[in-house]
Amino acid sequence: MKRRQERVDAIRARSTERENHLIDEYRFGKIGRREFVRRAAVAGMGLPMAGFLAAACGQARDPLEQADEAQQGAPSKGGTIRVGQQTPSGALDPVTVNNQGGLTVLGQTGEYLIWSDRDLKPQPRLAESWSSNDDGSVWSFKLRQGAVFHDGRTMDAEDVVTTFDRLADPDNGSNALSALTGVLSKGGAKTVDASTVEFTLDAPNGNFPFLTSSDNYNAIILPKDYEGDWEKTFIGTGPWKLGEYRPGEGITLLPNEQYWDPARRPLSEKAEIVFFGNEQSLILGFQGNQVDYVVQFSVSGGKALLTDPTVVTTELKSSAHRQCHLRGDIEPFNDKRIRQAVALLVNRTNLVNGLLDTKTDIGNDSPFAPVFPSTAPDVRQREQNVAEAKKLLEAAGVADGFSVTLSTWQGFEMPDYAQLLQQDLRQANIRLNLSITDAGTYYGDATYGNSRWLDSQMGITEYGHRGVPNVLLGAPLLSTGTWNGAHFKNKTYDKLFADYTAAIDLDSQRAASKQIQELLLDESPILFTYFYYFLSGAKDYVAGIDTTAMGHTDVSQAGFV
Amino acid sequence: MKRFIATRILLSIVTLLILSILVFVASQVLPGNVARNILGPLADQASVDELNSQLGTDRSLVVQYWDWVTGLLTGDMGTSAIQQRSVFDIIGDSVVNSAKLALLAFLIVVPLAILGGVYAALKEGTLRDRTISLGGLSATAVPDFVWAVLLIVIFPLGLGIFKPTATAPPGSNVFEQVYYLILPAICLVFVLFGYIARMARAGTLEALDADYTRTAIIKGLPQRTVVRQHVLRNSLLPTIAVVATQIGYMIGGLVVIELIFNYNGLGKALFEAAQRKDIPVLQTGVLLVGVVYLVATLAADILYSVLNPRVRLGSES
Repeated sequence: MKRRQERVDAIRARSTERENHLIDEYRFGKIGRREFVRRAAVAGMGLPMAGFLAAACGQARDPLEQADEAQQGAPSKGGTIRVGQQTPSGALDPVTVNNQGGLTVLGQTGEYLIWSDRDLKPQPRLAESWSSNDDGSVWSFKLRQGAVFHDGRTMDAEDVVTTFDRLADPDNGSNALSALTGVLSKGGAKTVDASTVEFTLDAPNGNFPFLTSSDNYNAIILPKDYEGDWEKTFIGTGPWKLGEYRPGEGITLLPNEQYWDPARRPLSEKAEIVFFGNEQSLILGFQGNQVDYVVQFSVSGGKALLTDPTVVTTELKSSAHRQCHLRGDIEPFNDKRIRQAVALLVNRTNLVNGLLDTKTDIGNDSPFAPVFPSTAPDVRQREQNVAEAKKLLEAAGVADGFSVTLSTWQGFEMPDYAQLLQQDLRQANIRLNLSITDAGTYYGDATYGNSRWLDSQMGITEYGHRGVPNVLLGAPLLSTGTWNGAHFKNKTYDKLFADYTAAIDLDSQRAASKQIQELLLDESPILFTYFYYFLSGAKDYVAGIDTTAMGHTDVSQAGFV
Repeated sequence: MKRFIATRILLSIVTLLILSILVFVASQVLPGNVARNILGPLADQASVDELNSQLGTDRSLVVQYWDWVTGLLTGDMGTSAIQQRSVFDIIGDSVVNSAKLALLAFLIVVPLAILGGVYAALKEGTLRDRTISLGGLSATAVPDFVWAVLLIVIFPLGLGIFKPTATAPPGSNVFEQVYYLILPAICLVFVLFGYIARMARAGTLEALDADYTRTAIIKGLPQRTVVRQHVLRNSLLPTIAVVATQIGYMIGGLVVIELIFNYNGLGKALFEAAQRKDIPVLQTGVLLVGVVYLVATLAADILYSVLNPRVRLGSES
């Protein structure tokens, strides 16, 4: 016991002020064990040390850490593991991929500096360790030695620097700009030596490691001379390498015998990733034993899987959600009271139970999903209150209600969601005219003035999972945001966003997030009514598949039980 | 005969020209911007404009149309900016897949439906006739996606035979491919049987009632010879036309069946191209379906005229 305390003291003596603050937060019970390990890893302390400190500073394991015991059993070597997923919607290029079908493929042969695991904990991959200066504006990454690309070349700091320069360059049409804009500009990454990269950020950012991780799924480390022909080679440093690519049909992957981590070399002889053009055929293919694993299914499309005794389903809490914006610069939603009334009319319990069969967390009209540790836990939850809503409408001079068009597109459960909103709002005589189109019509040119998404009075838009809320707080809500369908312009919010982004420790993040959550509850520019779980399914004869709510699926340790 | 064929070909070329204009205009009406689709919502407008310029989508519609048509005439179908593959490869693979499914379905349904139709006509008014006619009609009336789901639920999911998806694994031999394709093919058999059998039945009844058939019977020829030599040759004329017009549908129109069975045929490729505003694939694919329709109907016309000189002579006069 004494030796353990001595070791803790020694660690604390050489830790930075920020790291010591984190240890104190844990010791005094402000954060749980799970959250401590996660944040210690973000700060660059390394998981073994974080694990030791968690045990030494003595808290019991969180109940959630013991949950999700699916896919039990030791997978055996050999065989072909078959994974079913959505067809990627365009060419496969790590720089431009912007859909889940594509990102699941990227992570098989490619690798990130950091793997953001299913608990949102950063695990070292091509980066062995990382650390920042005190204000989080400069981050240094120590790279792994011995990682080689599939063509035999050694991965080094120059590859990392060119990868991030490529992603941060607007001329490349990089999809990662959604995460990197305002955080890292082209030229911000510099080689210190062959195995060290230093990132100088545009502004301090306590969550930067997540932006280099699998959460920012475009950030696959590519060779410095990469020229955009990824489909020919699928080049990366990952545990699988390309066997055969059949566009629109699927991919055959073979084990990478040179993979740097012997413990993660593939167990199966081969992996077949099969593409399905729609969810119905994916579910039928899975039920008919065409594939052993289905990366993701929805509650509405895959209800049969939830009760199938031969299927092991995994439910991961996520921050994926639908935003329903209320455009605040034109009538009728330019009056805050009307926006609040609309939010109060929504029966969130019905949405959770009816629309998503309880596989979701209730939203509180801000992007702070319950899954984010930085979400302030003590903000009051908005509940349905029809009487209060009617009072607000009366005060705003629209006691008799009004008509407004709700736009969305024919995808996922969004048309059903629109109909439920239509029913709820009818209680106060607010008449929603539904305009449900195809995705192309809804998004249009995706620029203001040329897009239903950004121009409509009221619209429902789908947003995928993110490991940190930064992007969700930025583009849809900042005055200068490029996805701001609500046309929400609020200087206080902009300032709070900057404070939140720069916050390094959890206390500061929660303090900022609490103010943001309360401001958004008051202003109600966007309805965030639920954050649905990421559902995936495995046949009961396979084990070892690791999926994250982002849609990454690691099948390197998958095999038959 | 030559004049008849020449006239038909000339008309087909004019039809194709009109079709190409229609397809081109319809593709332009689709919402969304090609470069914006590729670069994503966060790309700045300058990058979008630059890519549109590289792709040539910022040029006048007349210039774009002319480039597309002249490209096609010289064998250059262009490149899909969305998929970064040549349109020839995308369309080619899809057409081959669609042709495989169509061939299998035709090999089953055409002989089956003709036999059924002729048999029903020969047994006109009996229970067997009604069973074939009403059964076929009922099967045709049920939408193809209903058959698709029903067959999947009964066979792969219920009985554990056949496959719920139609794409065979890479390297599969012909028999394995047929095994994977059998359910969508049966689906098409259900959809087409009633239609073709009805035509065959009507043609047979008409031929059976004709003077030349009566004469043959009076001459004392056996029924089998009468049917084979006098009835079938004349009764199949309308059936040929029906079968020919179904070829275009089979090659490019099986969107729902291909989606349900996750089969990469031309229908699915066109549906996805329309969704993604992949204009080169969409334009060329739709035009190709038009060509298939025209070639099939032209072949049917020629065959029709060979089997029935009255058609040929009528056209020439």
